[in-house]
Amino acid sequence: MELYELNLHILIEGLKAKKFSPAEIFQSCKKRIDQCEENIHAFITRTDDKPQSIENPNGLLAGIPTVLKDNLCTKGIRTTAASKILGNWKPPYNATAWEKLRSAGAVLMGKVNMDEFAMGNTCGNSAFGPTHNPNDISRVPGGSSGGSAAAVSAGYVPFSLGSDTGGSIRQPASFCGVYGFKPTYGMVSRYGLISYGSSLDQIGPFARTVQDLQLIMSIISGHDPMDSSSFRNKDHDFTHSEDVSIKGKRIAVVKEFRDFTLDAPISDAIKRTIKILEDEGAIITEVSLPVVAKYAVACYYALAMSEAHTNLERYDGVRLGYTVKDAAGIKEMFERVRSYGFGAEVKARIIAGTCLTEPSRCEEYYVAATKVRTLIAQEFSRAFGETDFILQPVTPSLPGKIGENDEDALKGYEADLYTLPVNLAGLPGLSFFTGYSGNLPVGLQLIGPRWSDVSMLDTGVILERHLGSPKIANGGVK
Amino acid sequence: MKLTSEEVNEIALESRLLLNEQELAGAVRYINTFLDKLDCFRELDLKDVEPFSFAEALECPLREDKVIPFPDNEAILHESEHVDGSYFKVPRIMEE
Repeated sequence: MELYELNLHILIEGLKAKKFSPAEIFQSCKKRIDQCEENIHAFITRTDDKPQSIENPNGLLAGIPTVLKDNLCTKGIRTTAASKILGNWKPPYNATAWEKLRSAGAVLMGKVNMDEFAMGNTCGNSAFGPTHNPNDISRVPGGSSGGSAAAVSAGYVPFSLGSDTGGSIRQPASFCGVYGFKPTYGMVSRYGLISYGSSLDQIGPFARTVQDLQLIMSIISGHDPMDSSSFRNKDHDFTHSEDVSIKGKRIAVVKEFRDFTLDAPISDAIKRTIKILEDEGAIITEVSLPVVAKYAVACYYALAMSEAHTNLERYDGVRLGYTVKDAAGIKEMFERVRSYGFGAEVKARIIAGTCLTEPSRCEEYYVAATKVRTLIAQEFSRAFGETDFILQPVTPSLPGKIGENDEDALKGYEADLYTLPVNLAGLPGLSFFTGYSGNLPVGLQLIGPRWSDVSMLDTGVILERHLGSPKIANGGVK
Repeated sequence: MKLTSEEVNEIALESRLLLNEQELAGAVRYINTFLDKLDCFRELDLKDVEPFSFAEALECPLREDKVIPFPDNEAILHESEHVDGSYFKVPRIMEE
């Protein structure tokens, strides 16, 4: 077995026992990247040209390679958000989540692809071209954190970070056959994450085991004075050693989702997972989420676009990124920079967000959406009075072919129904592997009340024990 | 159709975006289809519903109002092509 095939915990144990060295892990991962990258195209910027120095040789992650979604700021390393408008911007500071990993000794292999400004669910909406699914390179890896999921799936690195605004960790994790975790909003600092929808964005990890997710969460979670939305006094023990049981836990399916069409492998996976949960002593129940089922998609996109249009106002060519030097006035400069720098989907969302928040329409659309969001959060709150977790699909279908749905962006939005309500209510969500249908992985999702992150991952460990862990994808290599 | 192409173009200009004919046609289709989807909000009685906020965020998130100088202003200025000394320099703001 090659070192790149080992999961995070095994690598850490092996390093401790001096079975291999950080340099050997680096070389193995680099070789794997060189072998597959032509097929997968996960990277925007590689930093593995030479072994990076290890910030903390005694840290928990000393010498462990990782990659970051390219909307996480890395000091002195190009950060693009997959957009032309950021040009060759090199941030003067690190995102807190990356700073914590770096301080624990992690080594950066590079910055990976995403949908531009995290707007999309295919990883095809990038100024740097699409990323391919390592399980079948004719298919999408999902998005927006498609590069982060593909890199872990193909064995480039044992773990990575992404961000999730409406499913952007959970959906690519499911499509690529790895585990992806969207923490409770406020659990991980967003400082240094390039903003899309600030009340919805959250950073989280990808890995090939749930135990590895727990380890990364133990490092990146916690209050940060640089992010006022990160919560104080919320210490969580992600790596506790006591035995966990789900006996007596209530796990619900959503009544309203029962009538929605799912690909057969996904509905089969739900049945199989329910059987496992019952065998482990969980009580399977049903909750009703009528407002979520009917209004969440419209509510989410109204709010995400409104927040995006204000967040993206800052890109004007003055302080960073792409610019023009011969504009007659500031208006001309802004118009030329923004019209060239943003891609079509981003422009569409900025225009929609501007429209929804104009004084004449604000009450009818934006304010109404913030109220619908309250109803959605209340509905979840009631549901979690009746159940501990909800089990549901991540997506209604398995990953499609690259370019398949590019013509109809709004149709793609409907496919986010199972993921985006979680962001509206600020909940945690775990995308977990259940098996394969042919060569394609099939994932499902657990969601829970705010701050249930630790027990959700514990439940994920039990599910993994029964369902099995994913294997490294072939990455298009015969 | 809720918005004409003239109205959509006006909104784009407010966002400092110049659209060519094809982009404008796409934006008109996109926005009108999207606004139609938002009509569903009218089915709900939202009169007495408060706009959303996270329930736990009751404490004031403001920290002490203390100046903390950024350690590397040079690195910030280095990223701009519009620098004059230690300032950003922008094209004229007042129209002729």
